Amino acid sequence: MAGEARAFEDIELGDELPVEHPDLSLPAIRRFTEGSEMRFPRFLDHEAARAEGLPGALVPGLMSQGFLLALLHRWSPGCTVRKIDTVFRGPLVIETEAEVTGAVTDIDEDERTVEVDLTIVDDSGRTVVVGTAVVEPAA
Amino acid sequence: MILDLHTHSIKSDDGRAKVENYCKWVRKKELPLDGFVLTEHRQFDDTSDYRHLEDEYGLVILKASEVETDYGHVLVFGVNDDLVNSFDFARVDNPLPDVLEAAERCGAFAAPCHPGRRNVGLFAHYERKGPVEGVHTVEVLNGGSIPGEDELSVERAVAHGYRGFGGSDSHIVSRIGYCATDFDDDVRDIDGLVTALRGGRFAPVSFREEEMDRDD
Amino acid sequence: MTDLQAIRDEWVGVEFESAEFTIDRDRVIAWAEACGETDPRFTDPGNPDFQAHPNFTACLSTGRMMPENFPRIGSGFGIDGGKTVEVHGPVRPGDTLTGRASIHDVYDKTGRSGTMVFVIHRMDFTNQNGELVSTVDSKMIRSR
Repeated sequence: MAGEARAFEDIELGDELPVEHPDLSLPAIRRFTEGSEMRFPRFLDHEAARAEGLPGALVPGLMSQGFLLALLHRWSPGCTVRKIDTVFRGPLVIETEAEVTGAVTDIDEDERTVEVDLTIVDDSGRTVVVGTAVVEPAA
Repeated sequence: MILDLHTHSIKSDDGRAKVENYCKWVRKKELPLDGFVLTEHRQFDDTSDYRHLEDEYGLVILKASEVETDYGHVLVFGVNDDLVNSFDFARVDNPLPDVLEAAERCGAFAAPCHPGRRNVGLFAHYERKGPVEGVHTVEVLNGGSIPGEDELSVERAVAHGYRGFGGSDSHIVSRIGYCATDFDDDVRDIDGLVTALRGGRFAPVSFREEEMDRDD
Repeated sequence: MTDLQAIRDEWVGVEFESAEFTIDRDRVIAWAEACGETDPRFTDPGNPDFQAHPNFTACLSTGRMMPENFPRIGSGFGIDGGKTVEVHGPVRPGDTLTGRASIHDVYDKTGRSGTMVFVIHRMDFTNQNGELVSTVDSKMIRSR
């Protein structure tokens, strides 16, 4: 589904994006590895991941970034994401809970784009992903 | 007077915040900040001039550095040419005693940041190697801390008799002001900040709960 | 101790590999659905603007993340430290992309995991019309 486009003029610096809880289940991770062809044990098997010194099987970084893109597309239906930049600050273990959200931090009147801060916080309160995106609203 | 003593801009390799956007955010969100200090990773930015932003937004914007030592990261306020020539800001393993001595000698102020951080914070190193003379102040509240780290920082700082301050450690705009430092005195420039830090009349403050309230 | 400045001087900006990729429709859909995407532009082949998720190109690899003869830096398997994707145009199923790989930067720093070396790998993707559609910077981290 895609909703009504959010008008550029209606977006203000400081606007908060909704908080979402992405699906970190093993079936979701498997589906992502099908799409990405990144079928590494560290993403699919807790024991294999721990053998590499990791706390458990990890959500692929690109999948985390994908959650943020999906959030942006729902917040601003029909938008074009011109750039997304994420820093992975800590591991996000599969089959846990996380919160994805963001906030508008800049408005470019000339380009008609907005810059958005993005974060993913795990269930211990650790911020595991931070980043920014430049978004061109559809309207 | 409340200042966020620990922020990063796009000048830091992992920073994503433009300084003007910090200013806009502080004003738009009506954060209880009178200013902030840019503590860029492993460098001192001696080229950027933010005085026009100070005038436009009515904020104090100061520049400092976050350097790396064999006992963890250290914030250095009052960076000058003498200090820059005293040790290599780009190095990841400067001996902490050398950094502390150089800061003292050059009229600057050095204080370990996020000392409660697992594995790499000051107090983790203390457990392995023992305490270091010359540490007197540490960052006890850090906006990037995971649960438990600030509590450890506070507990160990008290045990060692260290003073404590706060900073957000923001790398993105929306995290500025998560933690800060409340000074009794007015601070308008970097010399004033160093004097105020030396004077010890300050306290760490956290605005995390209020940030959460704003999200509701 | 590895001389990172010497490595930067020798390798940064040098294109070391290229490869062609055909964008597969089913993979594009699987990727978007797994990420919880609900915008039909990315999940519905019948949508007039059907295209790959903006960061899909970040999974396309020439086979090597480092140039041949690149110095062995640090240890461990390497961790994904972050990705930057700049979108220049849509990538559509059926497109043939040419990806060109280079090293964009090399540096070290300390963090929660100790002292680490960061290598920024860049891929520029052009489509069958010669249009630049995507630039991907990948930050790889190794323990020092």
